[in-house]
Amino acid sequence: MAVVTSSPPAPTKRLLESESAGRRARNRLATVLMAACLLIAMLPLIWILWTVVSRGAGLLGDSTWWTNSQRGITSRRVGGGAYHAIVGTLVMALMTAVISVPIAIGTAIYLVEYGRGRFAKLVTFMVDVLTGIPSIVAALFIYALWVTAFGFQRVSFAVSLALVLLMVPVVVRSTEEMLRLVPRDLREASYALGVPRWKTIVKVVLPTAFSGIVTGIMLGLARVMGETAPLLILGPYTSSINLNPFDGNMAALPTFINQDRNNQALDPAFDRVWAAALTLILIVMVLSVLGRLLSRFGTVKK
Amino acid sequence: MKLTRFSPVVAALAVGSLLLTACGSDNNSTTGSGTDKTTGASTAAACASGTLNAEGSSAQQNAIDEVIANFTSDCADATINYNPTGSGAGIEQFTAGQVDFAGSDSALNADKGEVEKAKARCQGNDAWNLPMVTGPISVAYNVEGLDKLVLTPDVTARIMKGDIKKWDDKAIAALNQGATLPSAAIKVFFRSDESGTTENFQKYLAAAAPKVWTDEPSKSWPGAGEGREKSSGVSEGVKSTPNSVTYVEWSYAKDNGLGVSQIDNGAGPVELSGASVGKAVAAAQPDGTGNDLRLKLDYTTKEAGAYPILLVTYEVVCSKGLDAGKTTLLKDFLTNFASPETQGGLEEIGYAPLPAEVSSKVQTAIKAIS
Repeated sequence: MAVVTSSPPAPTKRLLESESAGRRARNRLATVLMAACLLIAMLPLIWILWTVVSRGAGLLGDSTWWTNSQRGITSRRVGGGAYHAIVGTLVMALMTAVISVPIAIGTAIYLVEYGRGRFAKLVTFMVDVLTGIPSIVAALFIYALWVTAFGFQRVSFAVSLALVLLMVPVVVRSTEEMLRLVPRDLREASYALGVPRWKTIVKVVLPTAFSGIVTGIMLGLARVMGETAPLLILGPYTSSINLNPFDGNMAALPTFINQDRNNQALDPAFDRVWAAALTLILIVMVLSVLGRLLSRFGTVKK
Repeated sequence: MKLTRFSPVVAALAVGSLLLTACGSDNNSTTGSGTDKTTGASTAAACASGTLNAEGSSAQQNAIDEVIANFTSDCADATINYNPTGSGAGIEQFTAGQVDFAGSDSALNADKGEVEKAKARCQGNDAWNLPMVTGPISVAYNVEGLDKLVLTPDVTARIMKGDIKKWDDKAIAALNQGATLPSAAIKVFFRSDESGTTENFQKYLAAAAPKVWTDEPSKSWPGAGEGREKSSGVSEGVKSTPNSVTYVEWSYAKDNGLGVSQIDNGAGPVELSGASVGKAVAAAQPDGTGNDLRLKLDYTTKEAGAYPILLVTYEVVCSKGLDAGKTTLLKDFLTNFASPETQGGLEEIGYAPLPAEVSSKVQTAIKAIS
């Protein structure tokens, strides 16, 4: 490629040809290797999807699956639905979002717009540390705080608190990136017009980055919805519908799966476990797709 | 301005979630009559309303699930939640005040301070152990072509210790004359989680084969083999591994279609059945004071036709000190649970009914809860 142009044409050509034969071989080898890697990476994904869909799709068409709870149903009986668990998962996700989104966006704005010096570095470092915290540690921390220290009951609000710890760093990270993408010119133009800094942020920076921020939130939500550790420690299962996050047990899809998992040898339980898994995948997928759609159709026009 | 672009999406989400919350139903009565409805005309008279949370032994999960399902379909205003997290976890959550009663495969242990902690949780009142579910522990195996396997306590203990390594060992062959035993290694599966089943099985081995099993019975497994989580884990392990063996509650062995060994305690081989378990339970001696009803099982019983490896799950309750509303519901539910009708229905899912004598004592104790 970058061959000296002033050299005589014949040797150059020979040089090129002799080199490109070896290069072509290596290139082909690399392509094959990469394609093989892709296949290996895709294989488990396709396998999982196929297993879940083939085993779980049956119940999803059932009339009661989306409308009824599991009250009065045991692992030996067919019937009932996943309504209690779907609603529980959505309620917990909503609470988590309501608490963590303001905190996360505030932190991101501070880091991008105001934060300078040591304190900002400390915050960035803390967010990094928080990103690496395993969900079970977050759950145990909230358990120690909520149950051991304060003596409260295990309720789904406590689950949401643990999920907040997991969601905040994800949203801070993505929001930070989106805010940094907003062109400096926009801010300066606003300042030049005499608009104060806070108003610039609220009226110019945030709307410009809005779609990106929403995408980040959706992806963060999708991530915490499938978390199981906080549910096992803080959110005991119930087979009845409960919409109150501050009182009583609330079901969620992961704990619903876990409940019937003990009785895999029984057909009704087996079907329900896979149908619940498929339902969870579907809900998370809808959220992710929604996030991506928002980012595609919501970008600011120049 | 830019927000208007999102308003259709937001509206769709809002409408969707409204729809979703509007049409949920707890009423499964029309679809509830599934494969195995074991309600034996249990027209429970008393129906308090409210919610009870309980947690503990996974050995009784199938039994209590069935009872709860029947009870709550009769009592629409009552909700009872049982989470099978294990006996140890159940007692912990009970003493921490997180659940209203616990299910445990062993009675509260004074040496570990459980009795004291439970007393503190019940605001200074005693906590009672009420025997409620008796389940036999089966020695379940998966050997091609072997329909019948007879074991003695000694041989069982030596297999579980890893002393007997092959299926065609002389000790096993002597007990099973005429059976074709493969010359394959024995693969033992055990419970890797802390389990009351493990403790009760070891209690049996320590009592019936004291020379071989010298370990102190505890919730963790000191023997040979490979660990699997929960009853479902070990039974799946045996199901998918030829020439393997494990100890597991009878209901799991039944559900998974595993071979179940006959146990020869000295009076000939005894097949595991509701009747043979009932004989052993009836021989059990009460061992507690007043309404604290512990059962002392006779693991070494030589009675003909009595299956000796048993596990009793206790419901650990406060004799006093629960909220008034919850107390009524607790009494109603436990009364229904201990009733002969309910107990009789448990046999077909792999449990043994409480013997009449024990059952009536339990009923008396439940009445005394206040």
